[in-house]
Amino acid sequence: MTDAAVRLLCLLNQLDYSTRRVTINFEEKKDGVLPYLERIGFFQSLSPSVLVLPRRPSGFAAIRYRGRNPSVVEIQRIYRKQRDDSLPKRLTRAITQACEKRRDVKELEEAAWTIFAELIDNVFSHSETPLDGFAALQVYPRGNCLKVAVSDSGFGMLDTLRPALKNEAPKLAALSDVDLIVEVFRQGLSRHGSGRGCGLKGCADKAVKFGAELDVRLPSARVLLVPGSQGYTPNRAFCFSDLPLIWGTHVCFTFNLTGRS
Amino acid sequence: MSRMNQIPAVDLRLREFMDEEGWGRAAGRRTYQKLLGFVDDHPGILIFRVMLAGVRRVDISFASETVVELARKHRCKKGFCFVDLVDSDQRENWQAAALRATQPIMSWNRNAKPIVLGPGPSQGSSDAFMFALERSEVRAAEFAGSQRNVSITNASTKFKQLWEQGFLLRREAAAESGGVEYVYLRVG
Repeated sequence: MTDAAVRLLCLLNQLDYSTRRVTINFEEKKDGVLPYLERIGFFQSLSPSVLVLPRRPSGFAAIRYRGRNPSVVEIQRIYRKQRDDSLPKRLTRAITQACEKRRDVKELEEAAWTIFAELIDNVFSHSETPLDGFAALQVYPRGNCLKVAVSDSGFGMLDTLRPALKNEAPKLAALSDVDLIVEVFRQGLSRHGSGRGCGLKGCADKAVKFGAELDVRLPSARVLLVPGSQGYTPNRAFCFSDLPLIWGTHVCFTFNLTGRS
Repeated sequence: MSRMNQIPAVDLRLREFMDEEGWGRAAGRRTYQKLLGFVDDHPGILIFRVMLAGVRRVDISFASETVVELARKHRCKKGFCFVDLVDSDQRENWQAAALRATQPIMSWNRNAKPIVLGPGPSQGSSDAFMFALERSEVRAAEFAGSQRNVSITNASTKFKQLWEQGFLLRREAAAESGGVEYVYLRVG
């Protein structure tokens, strides 16, 4: 859910930035998503020009719950102009609280920290957009599921990678979106050459240890990777193409922790 | 640590050059510049023992830009090793960075076997490498003399390869014959 909220937030801010008039309507029944979005700080990060119906929440709920609900962590804005060095640490701190009874809590926290650190660093290094990115972590009740999500509003991972690969590795450049995404996380590919790209590979290696699913939303496609004994492979990838345009790279790891530790 | 070298070496306390957490490529590059200054300030020192006390975490990008890059830049001339790398997650991240840079880095720990972070030696030279790790310094003739079917030329080739690939250091010494021979040193 948190990853969907972050993607929606990016989309709304992108539409607003491109001078479109945006209205989001929450005139829904009792079990609607507005209270949830309010609690995780969605509206604090939403461009003030976006019209929210029936009314824009005040934002007090997010302040009231901030850091106190072990099953929810707020969305954190990745300020592009002012890097917050404590961001990965703040995001992962909730794991210690929510999963304290797990024997592998430290391993889990360290894996999540490395994933946040690498993905957020990529937002600063590669996204090339004036819009801020977002990072979110959600630990579900009883610590059985953990989501780690990072989104930006840039050109998209493959749009920046493919042109560089055309010269350096034409065979890789010719791969389909699904196969190329798999190789980005399996081999570690970077537009900056063969000495780089180890960050994403490292993220994947840590996530695979926990059997985490990897979901990557690109501007008009989505790739879902389910790990097998060989990690993430093309034959265990699901691709959804021709999707509505959302700029950026949106990565989410889902750790299904049921039965572990 | 008693097994470590008596070669000119200094301790490099990484925490003095960085924050508690090493996050990101840009921060790594800033730290690298400081580390480079430290190395330049110690001419004649062959081995830098990197101590991680006080370093809470490093990500792979930071690891790539700091000690791994330092070792890569000084390959064949100076050696860098870890002496207190006990955190398994940190070890994974240093390992991933060293592997990507194809730069081996030794990790020594009290009461544990030394391990190589990054690529391991080739199958053909691993016996020479293990022999070298047991001694502070070694000559090709010593290794050849201890093995069956290994000539001095063959042993020299193995050690030269290990030196070029960053597993060992070397210095010139006077040979008994009156010429010059290489003495190979383990890093740490």
